[in-house]
Amino acid sequence: MADRVVIDERATWEASAEALWTGRPRRLSDAWYGLSRNKLALAGSVVVVFFTLVAAVGPFVAPYDYARQVLSDTLLPPLSPGHLLGTDALGRDVLSRLLLGIRISIAVGLGTTAIALIVGTVFGMLAGYYRGWVDTIINGFVELVWGFPLILIAVLLIGAMGPGLVGVVLAVGFVNWAGFARIVRGEIFALREKEFVAAARALGKSDLEIMFRHLLPNVVGSALVMGSYYIAIAIIAEAGLSFIGMGAQPPLPSLGQMINEGSGYILENQRLSTIPGVVIVLLVLGLNVLGDGLRDILDPRLKGSV
Amino acid sequence: MLLIMAISSVVIFYALRTAPGGPSGGGVLNPLSSQEVRQAYEKRLGLDRPVYEQYFVYVDHMAHGDLGESLVNGSPITDLLLTHARNSLLLGLTALAISYLIAIPLGVLAAVKRNTWIDQLAMGGAILGMGVPNFWLALILIYFFSLQWGLRPSAGCCSPTQLIMPALVLAAEGTAVTTRMVRSSMLEHLREDFVRALRAKGLPEWQVIGRHVLRNALIPVISLSGLRLGWLVGYALIVETIFRWPGVGYLLVDSVLRRDYPVAQFFSLLLIFFVLLANWLADIGYGLANPRIRVA
Repeated sequence: MADRVVIDERATWEASAEALWTGRPRRLSDAWYGLSRNKLALAGSVVVVFFTLVAAVGPFVAPYDYARQVLSDTLLPPLSPGHLLGTDALGRDVLSRLLLGIRISIAVGLGTTAIALIVGTVFGMLAGYYRGWVDTIINGFVELVWGFPLILIAVLLIGAMGPGLVGVVLAVGFVNWAGFARIVRGEIFALREKEFVAAARALGKSDLEIMFRHLLPNVVGSALVMGSYYIAIAIIAEAGLSFIGMGAQPPLPSLGQMINEGSGYILENQRLSTIPGVVIVLLVLGLNVLGDGLRDILDPRLKGSV
Repeated sequence: MLLIMAISSVVIFYALRTAPGGPSGGGVLNPLSSQEVRQAYEKRLGLDRPVYEQYFVYVDHMAHGDLGESLVNGSPITDLLLTHARNSLLLGLTALAISYLIAIPLGVLAAVKRNTWIDQLAMGGAILGMGVPNFWLALILIYFFSLQWGLRPSAGCCSPTQLIMPALVLAAEGTAVTTRMVRSSMLEHLREDFVRALRAKGLPEWQVIGRHVLRNALIPVISLSGLRLGWLVGYALIVETIFRWPGVGYLLVDSVLRRDYPVAQFFSLLLIFFVLLANWLADIGYGLANPRIRVA
């Protein structure tokens, strides 16, 4: 019996030591539990997962090639034989184009956010951990970039590179990394004073090891929550830039590009721009609601605030 | 700020000129024009010289007050600046006014009537406002207002009917964000002790809310308005393009796409300057609202 108590005690101690050591190891399972109880966040994640699946497999099962024009079948209404969502002004199948458009939007959203997340987290950690002149330089740059409107930077960058998705990805990544860097820097500022960092340092761990093994797991949660908002921002930015002709170039069907093409036929065929518009709204709402939910779960104090 | 402007001017100058395509490659001249015509054109504009030489010529001209002229239609940039900046200011300030006039009362109402249908409706609207891309909202407005209900013309400048749609679209996202901010800030302050004290004193509820809580709750909104101004510049690029609103944003997008170097160069620097100014104001506003920040 006594042995049992000792073992139990040891297990508890080990668990708390581990928690102290690696940050919040049980947070992910907590988050999953919380997510399943938060209805809005659950709905958001269902929408996001659905569109991600569509983006992954959609273009493979698309009934036609996205650029295939049949000029005898232009502007067919939805539910026409062979064309579930109808055709556009050049007789291209709207469903096939939509499937690829969703893939492009999600790829741009995920791609830019992944770049921004990695770059922002690394620089935020460096600034927060080393402070001093490293922080002055990094933070000065971050504050400058962060205050800049994304669309303006994108337009300038595209001015330099010529219209296309590469410019969009670079511009969005360039602006959004600063957002991640700010959050991570702030968290590291507080964390580096904690006991587990002092303990790691006393054990002779190198700065790199402390940062990436011990501090990183602690900040990854909030960075991921930010990530869901930034994916939404990237998707809207890509669509907006494609809409004004600076993003995806025809015949590539980005969602913004499809809305733009449909806008010329708004009187006869509202659905041409309505369908991609609704998809963007659903996707962005899903991501925002999921972000709100994840934030509430990871930091219940903020529940209901902005 | 001067340093940033100088660096930006070099970067933008260099980037624009090394970009694929140029005024002679279809942006301004006829794309089918012959090689000789193009070379003569480039020689006349000095585009055949090295980029750094072009830059110094440009700076020299700027220093003498010569901002250059548009390659597309030959109008002097000073003229463009006067008309387009005025139009952009008109649009931007109207949008800002709309968004605060809607967001502040709505945010207060949502906070005071927390968890009622008013609150849920306001917050639902705010989430929707943040999710609907402004260019799509523009299309929806054009469809209903102009095409269905006959409010025409939908594009151009500068009558009240032409102003209202772009201003609404430009205001949408800011309204949503500000409503959420006012609400959460109000909720935070409604919980504080001084509110209980005021109520205990027997002050009417509208005075507690209007005079005391709202005044505190607006601090973060005011301090963030500089930042919002910067974001407005970004959105204006898209909104002005859709509505063909002859402002700085439309001009910049158009000149970048057409490779109208002098115009693109000047107006991008102008917008950068404006954003830096707005950020600087935001910093000052932040410091005034929260004196602790200034020390930190």
